[in-house]
Formats: sequence, C-alpha cells, structure tokens
Amino acid sequence: MIRRREVAKRVFAYELVRSTYQIEDESQPKYVLTPTGERANRIFSVAVLLDKEEIGADTNFWRLRLADPTGTFFATVGRFQPEALEVIGEINVPELIALVGKIRVFEGTSRKLVSIRPEMISAVDLSVRDYWVLETAKRTLERIKIMEERGNEDAELAWRVYNPDLEEYREMVRKAVTTVKEDVEVMERFEEEEEEIDFTGFELEEEEFDLTDLLEE
Amino acid sequence: MSRAEVLTDQILERIKGQDVRVKREEILKRMKLLIEEFKVPESEAVRTITSYLVREYGVSREELMERESPLVRISEITKPNQWVSLKAKVVQLWDSNSPNVSQVGLIGDETGIIKFVIWTRAEMPEVQEGRSYLFKNVVTDSFQGRMQVNVNRTSKIVEIDEDIELPPREIQVVGAIISFQQNSGLIKRCGECGRVLIKGVCQVHGKVEGYDDLRIKAVLDDGESVYEIILNEGNIAGLTGIDLQKALEIAKENLDRNAVLNELRNRLLGRYFRVKGLRGGRYLLVEEIEHHKPSVSEFDHILEALA
Ligand SMILES: [Zn+2]
Repeated sequence: MIRRREVAKRVFAYELVRSTYQIEDESQPKYVLTPTGERANRIFSVAVLLDKEEIGADTNFWRLRLADPTGTFFATVGRFQPEALEVIGEINVPELIALVGKIRVFEGTSRKLVSIRPEMISAVDLSVRDYWVLETAKRTLERIKIMEERGNEDAELAWRVYNPDLEEYREMVRKAVTTVKEDVEVMERFEEEEEEIDFTGFELEEEEFDLTDLLEE
Repeated sequence: MSRAEVLTDQILERIKGQDVRVKREEILKRMKLLIEEFKVPESEAVRTITSYLVREYGVSREELMERESPLVRISEITKPNQWVSLKAKVVQLWDSNSPNVSQVGLIGDETGIIKFVIWTRAEMPEVQEGRSYLFKNVVTDSFQGRMQVNVNRTSKIVEIDEDIELPPREIQVVGAIISFQQNSGLIKRCGECGRVLIKGVCQVHGKVEGYDDLRIKAVLDDGESVYEIILNEGNIAGLTGIDLQKALEIAKENLDRNAVLNELRNRLLGRYFRVKGLRGGRYLLVEEIEHHKPSVSEFDHILEALA
C-alpha cells in the first residue's frame, strides 16, 4: 500500500532541538511531538550550513551543522539519501540551504538528541529564508494559540510532556522575525532604487542622443 | 430480501419494456451462484448476467445501458461499484505505469474533479486533455480511500460538443517545491499518442523515435498539505528562462539529457511558489505559477500579533 506523503512541518531550530518526545503508538510513520504541540515526521527548513564533516575517511557519511535565526541543529546524510548526498559533496560552507528531512531522536550521553536525515538539500537565496521565517513564525503562533486553548489532543500531550513556557517560544518567534525583517527592508529599498536607476538610465540615453546631434554640428 | 434478490429485481426492472421471456428464478439462481457462492463483486455479477441476457435472450444492450447507469454529477459519486454515466472534461492526463491501463488522469464537471482509469482491454478511443466527453456506463471504484471511475469494455466514450465547466473553486497556495518525481526534466513523448517514453518505449506503441518535451512533476508543500503538480514547458520557461530549445542546448553541451534535470533542480527545489489552480484530491492543476517573496508588511503583521 502506498502511504500518504507526510507534510513537511515548519519548526524553528530552537524548538526542533527540544522536540525529544516520540509519540508511542501503532501509527506509522513515527512522529515526534514538539514543545508547542506539532506532530512531525518530516520538516522543511531553510538554514545556513555552517559545517560539513565526513565521519571517517571516504565513508561518504556526513555530519552537518546548521543554523537558523533561532539556533543550531544537526543533520546526517549518507548513502540512503542519494540526492542530498550528491548536493552535499559539491557544496561549499557556509551556504544557505533549504532542506527536507525526517526527524530522528536518539540517546546522547547525557540527554536525548534530535537530528535530521535530509532527503532533499538545495542551495537557495535569502528571499527563500525570509519567507520560511515568516511562514514558520505564523505556524508557530498558530500552535501557541492552540496550546493556550488546549485545543487538541497534541496540545494536551505537549503540556503533559514539556509543560512549556509559551512566552519563551513567542520570544523565539519575535527574535526570528525581527532579525529577518531588517534584511527584507534592505532588499525592498534596494529593489526600489534599482527601478529608479533604470528610469535614470532611460533619460540619459535621450541626453546622449542630443549630445550626438550637438557634436555633429 | 437478499442482495441476490434485490439485484435480480433491478435487472428485471431494466429489461421490463423489452419483449423478453426470462424467468426470475433463472436470473436469481445465477445471481446467487455468482455473489453468494463465488463471491464475485456485485457489479461484475450484474454485468455477467446482463451479458448472458443479451446473448441468450436478445436483450438490447443499448437500451440496457441507458437505464443501467444514470447520468450523475461527479459530486454524487460517493460509493464504489456503481454503474454511472457522466459528462465531463478531461483536465489532466498522467503517465500510466501499467500496461493494463490505457489512459489515466483527471476528469471534471462543475461539481468536482475525479480520477479516471481507462483499462487497456476496454479498447476505447483515446481521450484528449481539454475536451469534453460523455462517459457512458462507467463503474465507480474506491482506491486508497479515494473515489475514481473505471472505463471498461461495456463503457462507451463519446466526445460531446459542450464545453463542460469545471468547479469554480480555484485555490491559491504558497508552498515550497520539496521534491521532483520520476520522469521530470527533458523527456521524450510518443509521436502517436503523446505518452511519455520510458527508456525509449511507449507503453502502447512500443519502441518509437518520439519527440522532445519539457515537464516537471513535483511535490508542493505548504506545511499543512502536500500537492502534486505538473509544470509544462510554458510554466518552466516562465520560472527559469529554460524553454525546450534552451534545454536541448544544455543537454548537447553536457552530452547528457540529465543535465537539464539537474539545472532545473538547482533552480527550483526548495523555493517558494504561488500556485493558482484547481484542486482535485491531492492534485493541484496549475493555471498560474510564480516565485513568491515576502513583503515587509507581512512581518509587521506578525510583530503586531506578538505585541
Ligand atoms: Zn504511443
């Protein structure tokens, strides 16, 4: 039977690395629960690839360190993710990338750790990051609202498992949005200026034409 | 009354006007044998007995069909194993990856969009995207929890002069393209039927020369739903500047047709797009697609909500 494709959830790094609770039921695939009550099997993120490190020589198994405006997280890519592996082989760090991957929780030496298994990696430009932050902010605020209302079972479960300080997550959203908004403002101004330059260029052309006429005289 | 009796009476009702002298017991006996003993699906049993009546008693198949399958709207299709007829427009044709399937895709009317399958053994004339047809005597079916209609040997497809309207529910989605599916990029299509060639082979016409085309089957994800979309050459050229001509140049320069796919991946994967189109199940029929960028005001809205 073909399973329905899992939606890639939007979660900031700060929340992602705290998402250590695996939902234990018969359902396949496996989900983790995030502190704001998102049930996620797969995520879509746009982050800076800070570092890539091959684990052992010529193993073609890579450990990646990534950061979004709220924090850092890890990912591992191996031969079972051939498409992502190909991109990682060629990419130079640091680089802004979009990635889709499965969430894995495993036991670290002192606590549970979260890592991503990317299925897709693609180098992207800043406007993609900007929209991702906006979208992830919106989704996170929606979840926070459901948490406040105790609006569904996952919210109830998140309260029991994490008992989160929602203000902490609001602050995370505020921080991410504020940081990126400045970039977007700069970009919008830059684009406006570009338009102005185009217009000036057009005027100059006419002047040049006039000049030629003058020179001929 | 047992199911066998109900179905028997339905058949009798359908042939009532015709001058046929067949006994109820005879039909009932066959019906019981088929559905109770052999556990044949009801629709198959009805079809088998109907064929028997046509053959042995000279029942008119034409007349039977008229009565057998009422003309319905797509939104009325909610149960499997019903014989129905519908007027619909072919909105999208997909690649079939089974030799048993002649054509597969989506058809729509003003009430909705539904998947259809034309079985190879039905030996139907081919339908074309954008044209409207009367699909007579097709069987409803449920596949992976979704309804579809199957066109088989007793069905009939007649092109009609009407231009069937599609549902007005056009949706707009902003999402990221997170995956390309198989047979995307620079592809070859069969010159006879337009099907995508798999390793140079058309599933109907065998090994053929084919012609080049550019298309992408992709998955768009907005964090809440996933949609399967198909981008044609026009869509791809609009987004990347790579049209078929350019794609062929890229393939030639690299001595590799896959170079086109890689280039398209590099330019489109992980990016956000605003897509306008019609939704049919998990499929989104692209009418317009463009890159999406956020504006400062959207950020302000969030900060206001946080204040
Ligand atoms: Zn063909």
